[in-house]
Order: sequence, then structure tokens, then C-alpha cells
Amino acid sequence: MTTKQLVEQIEGEASVYFDTDDEKVVFSTIAFPHFRGMENILKGKNALDALVITPRVCGICGHAHLMACVRAIEDAYKNAGESVVLSKKAENIREFTVVMEIIQNHLKWIYFVLLPELYKRSDSKQTSYPLKGAFGASLATKAIALLGGQWPHSSYMVPGGITCDPTYIEILQAQGFLEELIAFFEKESLGVALDDFLAYETCKEFAQGDADIAKIEAYLLQLGMHEKGLAYDRFIVLGKHQFSRQSKIKQTRFFSVDSKYVSTVESFSPNEKTFARNALYKDEYYEVGSLSRMMSLQIPLIKNIHRRYKDSAYSRVMARVYEVAHLMKHVKELLSEVRIDENSFNKPAPIETLTASGVGIVEAPRGPLIHKIDIEKGMIKNYEIITPTQWNIGSSNKNKLTPVQKTMQGHSKTDALFIFRTFDVCSVCTTH
Amino acid sequence: MHSKQEAKPRLVWIQGVTCNANIHSFLNLPTLPSLLSKLNMLYHPSLECSHTLQEITQLEIACDVLIFEGTYDPLLKRNDVLIADVVKHFAQEAKYVVALGSCASFGGIFKASAPKRNSGLIFNEKESFGPLLESQKKVINLSGCPVHPEWLGYTLNMIINKKEILLDELHRPLELYSHLAHHGCTRNEYFEWKVDAKEFGLKEGCLFYEQGCRAPMTHASCNKILWNEVSSKTRAGTPCFGCTEPDFPRNNLFSTQTNMSIPQDVPLEIPKRAYLTMTGFAKTFSIKRLEGKLIDYKTTR
Amino acid sequence: MARISKEERKSTIISVALKLFSERGFYITTIPDIAEKVGMSVGNFYNYFTSKDILAKELVLFISEYLGKSIQKINEEDVSTEEKVYKIVTMYFDMADHKPEMIEYFLRVYLSNREVFGEDCKGMLCVSPFVTEMMIFFDDGVAKGELHNQDFFSAFGLFMGYLGGMVFLFGENILPEPLSEYKTSISQNIFNALKTRS
Repeated sequence: MTTKQLVEQIEGEASVYFDTDDEKVVFSTIAFPHFRGMENILKGKNALDALVITPRVCGICGHAHLMACVRAIEDAYKNAGESVVLSKKAENIREFTVVMEIIQNHLKWIYFVLLPELYKRSDSKQTSYPLKGAFGASLATKAIALLGGQWPHSSYMVPGGITCDPTYIEILQAQGFLEELIAFFEKESLGVALDDFLAYETCKEFAQGDADIAKIEAYLLQLGMHEKGLAYDRFIVLGKHQFSRQSKIKQTRFFSVDSKYVSTVESFSPNEKTFARNALYKDEYYEVGSLSRMMSLQIPLIKNIHRRYKDSAYSRVMARVYEVAHLMKHVKELLSEVRIDENSFNKPAPIETLTASGVGIVEAPRGPLIHKIDIEKGMIKNYEIITPTQWNIGSSNKNKLTPVQKTMQGHSKTDALFIFRTFDVCSVCTTH
Repeated sequence: MHSKQEAKPRLVWIQGVTCNANIHSFLNLPTLPSLLSKLNMLYHPSLECSHTLQEITQLEIACDVLIFEGTYDPLLKRNDVLIADVVKHFAQEAKYVVALGSCASFGGIFKASAPKRNSGLIFNEKESFGPLLESQKKVINLSGCPVHPEWLGYTLNMIINKKEILLDELHRPLELYSHLAHHGCTRNEYFEWKVDAKEFGLKEGCLFYEQGCRAPMTHASCNKILWNEVSSKTRAGTPCFGCTEPDFPRNNLFSTQTNMSIPQDVPLEIPKRAYLTMTGFAKTFSIKRLEGKLIDYKTTR
Repeated sequence: MARISKEERKSTIISVALKLFSERGFYITTIPDIAEKVGMSVGNFYNYFTSKDILAKELVLFISEYLGKSIQKINEEDVSTEEKVYKIVTMYFDMADHKPEMIEYFLRVYLSNREVFGEDCKGMLCVSPFVTEMMIFFDDGVAKGELHNQDFFSAFGLFMGYLGGMVFLFGENILPEPLSEYKTSISQNIFNALKTRS
């Protein structure tokens, strides 16, 4: 029989339908029932207006949408033979704010979703403090706002650069917030210094102390999550950044990637109307997000985790936790490299003169985010958005399961729902 | 000290067609923990609360404050229950209904998802329209895309402290929306002397003449109560898009609509003739300090 | 006999000065010349204007305000932009006909002796009422969809340069017909040049 489970706290909701046999999930489908029609809203507007509209796809990762959008428009310029020159400063600041958004996302996920769920699942007497996540996230967003004006919903990236013109004061303030954030993360989450944590080589080292990371790891093991929630052991990273590497990984073998092989198909959702489509690469499903990105960097600790526990729920969760530390270190360096005497903005040709198509890809908190734009004399003729959750949380028929469907198969419904959450699902993005 | 849970206002936070940004904006509020301790959170989509969505959509309990985030779509369902019924149920007993963000206030971005049926709770853009017209007296519109965390903090604290909130004709609190986004902008002197920003990416110059800035026509205290406590769009060189006004989102957001080089819209309630006269005078003078860069990192070494 | 008010006396000086300056030229005309023509002592004249340069500047303001007020009246009428063009042209030519000294002063003194006006009349300072009304006229026309949206000075130059040129030809007695004969064709030319392009 099929039972329905409403999943909340995933930036909206989703319905998961389970077919079970002897209490074990044999098949599942997923529906995202809330339509918004962002792509239609964009049609006929000035292409630059997409820089304001598309961040509003998502309240938690709108900045990633902004960057995907500006990259798509810049790609269109390039395809029309018009050069758009970005200063190193503009590139670094863009990267900085996008990474800070990923950090705030992960901190919220750890404290709002993961820890309460782990405590609940293991009948722990521990109290969870979701607002810890909000506090850490607010430090990250302050640093974004110093350069982007505000978070959420900044539109400070424009074709040719960024709108801000920071002095050392803003850079120093941003560094200050970052340092405070790192100190908070070390004290509350890691229990050790950031550099010491990043130097871990095996997952045995997580168990030190009683900081939140140690608890997370212990509960994951207790729930057997190191043996559950395995997908295809196939990963993909499509966005070009300094903090990960564009690649396709099958088990441990690396391949190059080209976004032209990305396609979407209609979801299989017999029980409820869904507004999501599944994303594939060369007709195959891949896992995207933190685990894929950390895999792409061949970090010893991640390799160790993967060797032991493959692409289990444990690996997925711990890679996300690790990524926070990795990104903090990365942005610290990034910010110190910003040269404020460089131009923030190099004016491109007027948008009205542009008739071309472009693709913009970034690594959003949950994985590759793709924006495709067709521009005719500066106006949007067509706009397409493919979000990370469309990769991980597709809903397909039994012949070709999506990553999430595969991970939930064979487990109890309770375990399956926990595994579902380990992907860090974003409902609003999925039904853009 | 512990206060009795019963004495605290019971709050339910429901979502229409939304992007969740009002939640994430609210999570930036520095005083969030103390504010939440003064509320009895029955339901919230992200924060800790006493009920699940399934439970509250039984429509059996009541609340004192209903927060509605997102565009109102009468056909939208949450947990298979029409949001129209959910809103009607909770609004009935609530003393206050907060329409959170421009979507809930006026329709906002997601009005365009279904333009013929979507609206705010008591306004469709600036026309009276929506499901709560009959009880509009209890509706407080907190427009903004998203709402500023302090604006919601102010509103909830006023309710908790049983203070009267004065509203403008669009039901927005006067203390938050009688200012213009222009007030407190670091580029004010450039506006006064009509020196435009030559392009993006400069701290110098006003964004009103070329880049589409709506701050002088937009009711919002963004440059008085800074975003994330540190900045604002205009401070970061981004034009104000007028996101707190009923006509958001307008078109061509990064350019100023001009008629023969004359701005089509001039600062709020200033007669165009007066504005143009002042502009003409101000433009006559070339003020060296305002023409150049404030700091030239390339040559000042 | 009723006593002449200070304001009336001032406006007499302005009107006399305009005539003398435009007929004889700015440098040749002296304050005693003006005082004599008005019928006042030179000493008394200085109670009204403390120098010839200040008088010169006041005259520009006077003309600009006169033009501004006349165009404002037209701007406030509920008629099409095409008709407004005709009315502005008519107003301007009537002024050239009946008060030629005003336009003569503007063209021959103000525009030709900028050194006299200096900092005090920089940019828009002395001509603001007039230019502002032309801005309102253009802005209205574009907002109504009747005029092509273009750079202000390109449009302003076409309109006012054309009228100034015609008045110059008229003043030089080159025009075969009276100015009023040209109102219709010139209005049409201006409107055709500025109207919305399909």
C-alpha cells in the first residue's frame, strides 16, 4: 500500500509517497505541489531585471541565483562577441558573498534540521538550539551585506562586475565578522581550531570532545547511517569556482563535464501533481552538493570517509559539515586578496544592443544551479532554471530511480525520511 | 524569568506563494532569542513551535497573531487544505494579522504567478481587494521584498507591549514607512547637487538620474535602520527598486525612465516644476569635491 | 495725481532699458541715457539698480520669467502637444512683433555679451523659469506618447534655435512676409521633427 508523508522544514514542503513491504520502503515518489512560475514571470522583461527577480526564487540561496543570472547574461554577451571583463576584485567579492551564503545555509541546516532530527531519532535528552544556527548565519549575512547591501535578496552583481565600491573599512568589518564566525564555529560546532579540524585525515578523529560535530557523528553511527542511504556513488560538480572542481566522479574515477549534456525530464508522481522536473547528465542521475564538491577536491579526510562508508547518509552529512570549515578557510584567504584599487565594474555594451543566449552555472549551497537566458534586443525571450534539488530529489519510475529514491529503498520509513533530509532539500527552488 | 506560556501572544505563521525570504530575513534579527521568548509559537515553518502543519490545518485551535507570508492564492493548498480556509479560520479570532512582505501586502512578485486571482490580504497592488477586507482593521502590512527583520521585530514587540501601532493608508506602520528609503542615504549630497553616478561600482554619485533608484519615491526606512545592521542597497551602489511599494516589481529596474532627459518620476509630492527649477540651479555649479573620487587609491599613496 | 509705486517705476526702467540696449547696444547705452529717458535723476536710478551689470541681469530674469509664465499657461491647457507647439510659436512670434526689444535683448545682448553676466548668470541661473517650462512641455509630450523620447538639448535646440533664427531674419528685414504668416508652417515643421516615430 502507498502511504503519504508530508515533509516540512525543507524551505517549504514536499509529499513523499512510500510503497512498503514488511515495514521496508520498496518504492517512493516525491511531489512538490506549490507552483510559482518564475520562468514565465521573467519572459518579456528587460534582461537586467532578472538580476532582481531571480534571487526571489529562494529566500535561503537567492544569492546563488543572482550569480547564476549574472553569469548567464555575461555568457550571452560573450556569445554575441561582446567582451565583458571582470576585475579580479569583482570576481573575488562575488565568490566571497556566494560562499558566505553557502555557509549560512549549512549552519541553518545543521542546527535547524539535522541536530533536532538526530536528537529526536535517538531519544536523546539533549536540547537542540536551532537559534545557534541563526546566530552563526547572521554573522555570515552581515559580511555579505557589507558588500551586497543586504541579505536576503541583494542584486549587487551586474554584468561587468559589482555595484559596490568598498573601502578598507568594509573589508576589515567583513573580516571581523568572518573571524567572529570562525570562533563561534570552533567553539560551538567543532570543539577544535579550524586548522586542526581541516587537518583531520580519518573520520576517527571526529569523536574528539563533546562539541556538536562529535555528537552529530556519534548519532549518525548510532543510527547506522554509515551503512544507509547509499545512492549511485556518482557525483557531479558543474559550477566553476575556486572552492571546488568541475568534474564528474564515478566511484573514485574523475571525468570532465560540459553543461550541454544536462537535461530535464518530467517527474513520475502518480499520487499528486508535482511542479518539479528531474535533472540528469547524459541521461544518468547524479548526486550533487557538498559531498560531490568535497569529493571533487580529493581531500584526504573525505577520501577516507568515502572509502569506509561510500555515499552513505553519514558521508553526505559529514561532507556538508566539513565543507563549512573548508569554505571558511577559503573565504578568509579570498578576502585578504581583494585589491580595492581595482575597478568594481567595467561597463559592457548597452543591454538593448544584445541579442544572444547564455548559460550561467554556479555551485549553490545544494549543488549546481543553472540559469539559461535567451535575450532579444535586451529583453528576455526565454528563461530556464535548473536547481540542485532537481538532481538529488527527482521522482522517477521504478526503472530508473533518482538518487533520493535509491537511498530510501530498503529502509524503514523513519530512516527513509531522515535520509531524505540528509540531502538538504529546497522545496521553493525546486518549484521555481 | 519564566513567564507563563498562556500569557504570551499565540502566534501562527502561515505561507502563501512565497520564497521564504521573510523567514530568513527575520532570522537575522539580533534580538531574536529574547523576542521569541515572549511569544507562544504555535506554528512556524522553520522555527521551533508546538504544532505541526498537519495539526494546525485541522483548524481547531486559534491564535492571537497571524503572520501571513507570501502572495495570497485562493486555490493554494497546504497539507491539502485550502489556504483560503486557513487564513479565514485564524484571522477570525486573531487580534492582529500581519501581512508579511510585499507579496502578502500587495501581491508582490508572485502576483504574476496567477495575475487574475493572486493578491495581498487586503490589497491588490494599491486597490482594496483580498480575503480579509471585512476584517481589514486588524491587518498590518509590512511590505518589503523581503521585510526588514527589525520591522517585524518592532511590530511584534508593539503587540506584545500592547501599544497602538499607527498605520498609513496602505496599513503600514507609520514609524517604519513614513520615511523614504532616500533618508539617510550616504549619497544624499550628490542628490542635492545633482551629481549622478557615472556608472555602477562607484561610491560617488547619485543613482537617481541614470541607474533607476526609487529611494526618493519609496516609503521605507532601509537607510535609517540598516540591513543586517551594516548597510543598504544604495550604500552598496545598488539602486533602490521600490520594493516596499504596491507597484513592485516595476519594469526596467536598473534604469531611470526619462522623458527627453527629464526624470519621469520626481521625488514624492514635489511638483515637477519646482523639482526642475532646483535641478537647473544645482546643476549650474560644478563642485570639484563632488565631481571627483573621494579617495583615489591609485594615485594617493 | 496718484503716486507712482516703486514697482511701477522699476518696470518702467526695465522697459526703457530693454529698448535702449537692444536699439543702441549694451556698451554704448549709459545709465544717464536710461535715467533721462525714464525721467529720473541718475542718483535716484541707483536706488533701483546699483549697477549696469545688475540691471542687465535683472533684464534677463524679467524676460525669462515672462516667457516662462506664458509657456506655463500653454502647458496647463488641456490641448494636444501639436497644438501646444503652435501656441508656443504664436506666443513667441507675437512677442517678437509687439515687444521686439525683449527678444532682441535676449539674442543680441544676453547671448552675445556673456562676459557681462558672468558667474551670476551661469547655466540656468537667469533663464531657469523659461527653460524649466520647456522641460515641462517636453516631459508632458513624451509622457503622453506624442513626442519622441530623446536628449533634452537636441530637442530644445531644435525648437528654440529655429524660432531664434526666424526672429533674427525678421529683425534683419529679410523675411518677405510678416512673422505671423510663418506660424503654421513652422509649428508643423517643429512638431514633425519632434513627434513620436513609428
